[in-house]
Amino acid sequence: MTFHPFLRAAAGPLKIMMQDRLAVIGLCVLGVIIAMALFAPLLSTHDPRHINEIEDGSVLQRGAEGWELQDSFGPLALNDADHHGGEAIIVGRGGMGWARGGAGDWVALDLPTDVDLHALALSPEGRALVVGDESVILLREGATWMQVPAPEDVRLRGVVWLDAASALMVGTGEEIWRLDTATGAITEIDSPVGRGFPLHSVALDVDGTALIVGERGLAVRYDPEDGSATLERLGSSRDLNHIHIAEGGAALVVGERGTLLRRESFESGWSADPAPDTRAMRAGWIGDDGQGIAVGRNGLIMEWDGAEWQLVPTESERHLRALLVMGDEMLALGSDRFVSRLLPPSREHWFGTDHLGRDLFSQNVHGSQIALLVGFLGATLVVLIGTNVGLIAGYYRGRTETVLMRTVDVMYGIPFEPFALILVLLFQPSLTIVILAVSLLTWRTVARLIRSQVLSLRERPFVKAARVAGASDLRIMYLHIFPNVLPLVFLELAIIVGVSIIAEATLSFLGLGPPQAISWGGILHDARLSGAWRTAWWWNLPPGILIMTTVLSVFFISRSLEVVANPRLRARQ
Amino acid sequence: MSRRGYLFKRVLQAIFSLWIIATILFFLFRMGLPDPTAALVTEGLNAEQRAAIRAQFGLEEPLWRQYVLFLTNAVQGEFGTSFSYRAPVSEIVWERLANTMVLMLAAIVLAYAIGVPLGAWLSWRRGSRADTAGIFFGLMFRSAPMFWTGMIAILFFGVGLSILPTSGMRTLPYDADGWWDKILTLDFMWHAALPVLIVALYYLGSPLLIMRNTMLEVYGEDFIEMARAKGLPERNILYKHAARNALLPVVTQLAVTIGLAAGGQVVVEVVFSWPGLGREILNAVRTSDFPLAQASFLIMAAFVITLNLLVDILYTTLDPRVSFR
Repeated sequence: MTFHPFLRAAAGPLKIMMQDRLAVIGLCVLGVIIAMALFAPLLSTHDPRHINEIEDGSVLQRGAEGWELQDSFGPLALNDADHHGGEAIIVGRGGMGWARGGAGDWVALDLPTDVDLHALALSPEGRALVVGDESVILLREGATWMQVPAPEDVRLRGVVWLDAASALMVGTGEEIWRLDTATGAITEIDSPVGRGFPLHSVALDVDGTALIVGERGLAVRYDPEDGSATLERLGSSRDLNHIHIAEGGAALVVGERGTLLRRESFESGWSADPAPDTRAMRAGWIGDDGQGIAVGRNGLIMEWDGAEWQLVPTESERHLRALLVMGDEMLALGSDRFVSRLLPPSREHWFGTDHLGRDLFSQNVHGSQIALLVGFLGATLVVLIGTNVGLIAGYYRGRTETVLMRTVDVMYGIPFEPFALILVLLFQPSLTIVILAVSLLTWRTVARLIRSQVLSLRERPFVKAARVAGASDLRIMYLHIFPNVLPLVFLELAIIVGVSIIAEATLSFLGLGPPQAISWGGILHDARLSGAWRTAWWWNLPPGILIMTTVLSVFFISRSLEVVANPRLRARQ
Repeated sequence: MSRRGYLFKRVLQAIFSLWIIATILFFLFRMGLPDPTAALVTEGLNAEQRAAIRAQFGLEEPLWRQYVLFLTNAVQGEFGTSFSYRAPVSEIVWERLANTMVLMLAAIVLAYAIGVPLGAWLSWRRGSRADTAGIFFGLMFRSAPMFWTGMIAILFFGVGLSILPTSGMRTLPYDADGWWDKILTLDFMWHAALPVLIVALYYLGSPLLIMRNTMLEVYGEDFIEMARAKGLPERNILYKHAARNALLPVVTQLAVTIGLAAGGQVVVEVVFSWPGLGREILNAVRTSDFPLAQASFLIMAAFVITLNLLVDILYTTLDPRVSFR
């Protein structure tokens, strides 16, 4: 029962604090922030360092203002599209298909498969052929889709109708298959290379032959008349991804690293066009009237203006895989997994994402850890040094006091922020250096305050009584005087926690925070550095509000501690 | 102790402080940057030129000789040539210091001109909703990091409304005959508006809360009871009797604030691209321009100490109760 009076002594200040509405709010808010720091891994919805990617059935339509993003087709990427006589079909990953007749809306197709579909061709008679992974070949006769059995398991990438009853399909193992739709028989055609190079795309040329393109600049011409496949040179050794041949004979082949191979007409030769961008291109379209479009990764769209390829600015990061051109209507389709950069807040990312597609909510939650760590560790260090220096200087007086207080005077001549900057910059940012930089100068205030308090306390009767009773200096200092300055110590601790948090945020904002650590100041540093902070409000607002709220709650608590420390304030509030 | 003796002692103390700071600075830089000219390799200087610079700063000499050389140069105001500006360091530093001081003094004056009367008024309305709101907002601006409020202000006034310039001191290009010509223009004040406002909002909290709390203490004094007993109007008691006596702690705080003003607010200078001394130190250390960094910091410290000294002396004149210890 001996600690009873202690408890009562501790409850007194607490009761005073509880009377202050702002202090109660401060305590609650600080509690929430501390809980946030402790349970950060549980609370955060994503890994804060993970670069988030999403897949989306994206459609960009060419309008008066450029290419504009249309409503999404769902969470799966679109891979290919074709049209004939007013009907258009799109196929994508996961056995997904969409069809549109005339000017109507896109309607989801019920395809009898769920593997990824890669290519699609519509015949002049209105039959449709879709190919994809796992040798899936879907044929539409009338309105019903049926699967054509395949001889072996290959991944088909391209398909084209040779005539009303036969089609050519190519796959990633250099397979060239000819399908007779009447019998469902598949003839395997020997490739002239035969080394297993993936073939990516096939198109029907004006003379009735089919031109196939694939990796390492491979181009094969298949003649359905005599069933021969011969090697053709297009003048590139890069991977070729897509070929499109217009009815009049103009043709375009696109590939990796900005490869653009163009042919004016069937008779003229192929020429490589200089590309304004060297990213991979996945689909191309060319018209006989001199129009040309090529699309590729990261929203890359190029248009042929008759003389050279022009880069079209798009704000989209989406990977485009296919083009659907129906008269004036031009659609670019995609998109497999792309980095979800600078997304505004959504259900998936509550605070949006940053320029690297990292989840900002999780970053903000994790940021509380470093703020509180530096705040409390720094403040404890500061108060520890300051209190002891103040106690010793105030108690011993004389030469000790002169030396210690002159030191404090010298420290008052050192500007805090620039000193912290120099310290961190000279000695490489690390958690230790940041805490040191925050605390090395701040104790000067504490030392001065505690000393002046001790000066008056040491002349009090109870100290004199202790001295007469033979108590040692240490005992008087730490057992008799120290408890009397304790309220002041706590008050200073609270204030300096706030100061330390701001100091850490400041250093981090200048890019000098603890490396690898996620901190609120660091988030703002990234935002400023990326330049996107002027538009991405969801990026700058939360970290600042969090810093402000944390420091504010600490200040509210310190204000009521002030009332505890200074009873003169108590009576008149 | 006599007044003259006190002054003499304080000046000696200031010089002593400056010497200690210079010493700390010297050893800090020698520890952190053993070869300051290493950064010059990227600037395309060959070994001979680097050797010449090393000789200029006496880097080949033993450490104590370097230290003596550093002190002698510092006393003579000889800080060498900046690596990045290729100009005498002292010229650059004085101009940047003036820029910082203009910003800081304007902000401090604004903060105290608003904060003191507001604090007195809040104490009069203690416990009211206005009081709570005043405390809340005062503390709020004190808690918000200035680089963030600065960014938000730029977004709001600069980008959103585009009514205020957000960076620099003047519209470029400009030419001015001297420093006063540069700052005594409408264009300058236009540019200074946002940074001054941000710093002033940050500083507003202290005079506001100190004034309010001291007023509350003063209300308990006998002479206030006396004034009340005489039946003086409350407003009269507030501003004539209480406020005057509550001013002292505010003035103390003002003195401390002005004393540290030369340290500037580095982040505000960075966010608003204000060509001040704090930003210069940051850039100098980042580019390893060590003559500039060293000199900037030393001159900044010297200015802080001088301001502290001046403010102390002024303070003893203002308040006769302060003893000449």
